[in-house]
Amino acid sequence: MKIYLAILFIFSCLTVSAQESYFYLNWDVNVPMTNKDWIGNSSTRGAKAGYRHFIGDERKFAAGVDFNWSYYQEYKPTETFQNPGGAITTDYFNEIFQIGLVVSGQYHFPVGNREHFFPYAGLGLGANRNDYSVLYNIYQDQESKWGFLARPEAGILIRIGTRRKLGAMAAVHYDYSTAGSVNYDYNNFSNVGFQLGVMLMQW
Amino acid sequence: MQIRLISFGFVLLVSWSCKPEADALRLLDELVVSTNYDTGADFGTYATYSIATDTIGFVSNAHPNDTIIVQSSQNTYPRVVLESVESNMDNLGYTRVEKDQNPDLRINVYVINDFNLFQQIVYPSYYYPSYYGYGYGYGSYYAYPYVNTYATNTGSLVVEILDLKNITPNNTVKVIWSAYMGDVYSTIDLIKQSKDAIDQAFVQSPYLGI
Repeated sequence: MKIYLAILFIFSCLTVSAQESYFYLNWDVNVPMTNKDWIGNSSTRGAKAGYRHFIGDERKFAAGVDFNWSYYQEYKPTETFQNPGGAITTDYFNEIFQIGLVVSGQYHFPVGNREHFFPYAGLGLGANRNDYSVLYNIYQDQESKWGFLARPEAGILIRIGTRRKLGAMAAVHYDYSTAGSVNYDYNNFSNVGFQLGVMLMQW
Repeated sequence: MQIRLISFGFVLLVSWSCKPEADALRLLDELVVSTNYDTGADFGTYATYSIATDTIGFVSNAHPNDTIIVQSSQNTYPRVVLESVESNMDNLGYTRVEKDQNPDLRINVYVINDFNLFQQIVYPSYYYPSYYGYGYGYGSYYAYPYVNTYATNTGSLVVEILDLKNITPNNTVKVIWSAYMGDVYSTIDLIKQSKDAIDQAFVQSPYLGI
């Protein structure tokens, strides 16, 4: 929790001091695309926040940092796993907790008078950590991996009123991470995310 | 004002998207059943076994002086699990005899309590002494790789089958089959879940039987 509040504080300071920039905070729903036998459920427990600064006067290009986390969980009914020297029977939960931090750049397409709608496409590159866990009864097995994260993203910023600094934001992104797991049969991890939230703009 | 709004939204979003606990009722409504066996053992060559009637072993670092759990009006657990094991052995065709009737197999049942949780693959390269005297004074050893699971403030019900038919010259016996069932301290229904777990331990061990 402390780290989240620290990030909020930093972003708040940036939005107050910087010009031609925006801070956003989005609810992030993610659909896993890799090894869906292990976890196929979508994650509704996720968020994405970031700060982006416009480069130049025309508000075409922006660069910034994005931080995200998401949590996947799926229940597996009781099954028996045979091995050469015995067997184990249990029901269990598979879980993945994911955090990521990328440096991103965006191109904003000119639409209309450039006062209300700012559609954009961008790319983020950075690192992420995946915690793969299996919970059975009171026991837990876990494997944590760091990896490279690439995130193409497209979305739109919507300014509610020209005098208001508060706006809405919606985007879709594809995440490809090399933070796979040998134990749980992930060579890599990828997901598609849909985000919706608010932004606080400085211009 | 907007900062406050964003802050409120942030707290709200964090509250929602924080990692939730897994459903404990689902996790605890049945025991994890882990069985291991000596792949070199021929279970068809054994015919008789012995087992205690109303006492099971108890290994606890919290209660080092307590080494057994005895059947009583307040504690019916020992007899329930022993009868459940006996029933499964009988169904497989083995015959129960008294321990002085030279049984082929000895069955130990005990509860491990209050160990630190860790899992470890153990390979059979050592001997250890019998822990509470049910091995007729013999030491015993495992003849196959197996996984040990221990937990602090938790417990596992353990059933072991010892091979008395092939006692080594230095008076040690092989543990040719074992079942670990846990956690018996966090169960929703200890008696039922223990009986179900013992049944499952035999179901997932089809190589047992005459």
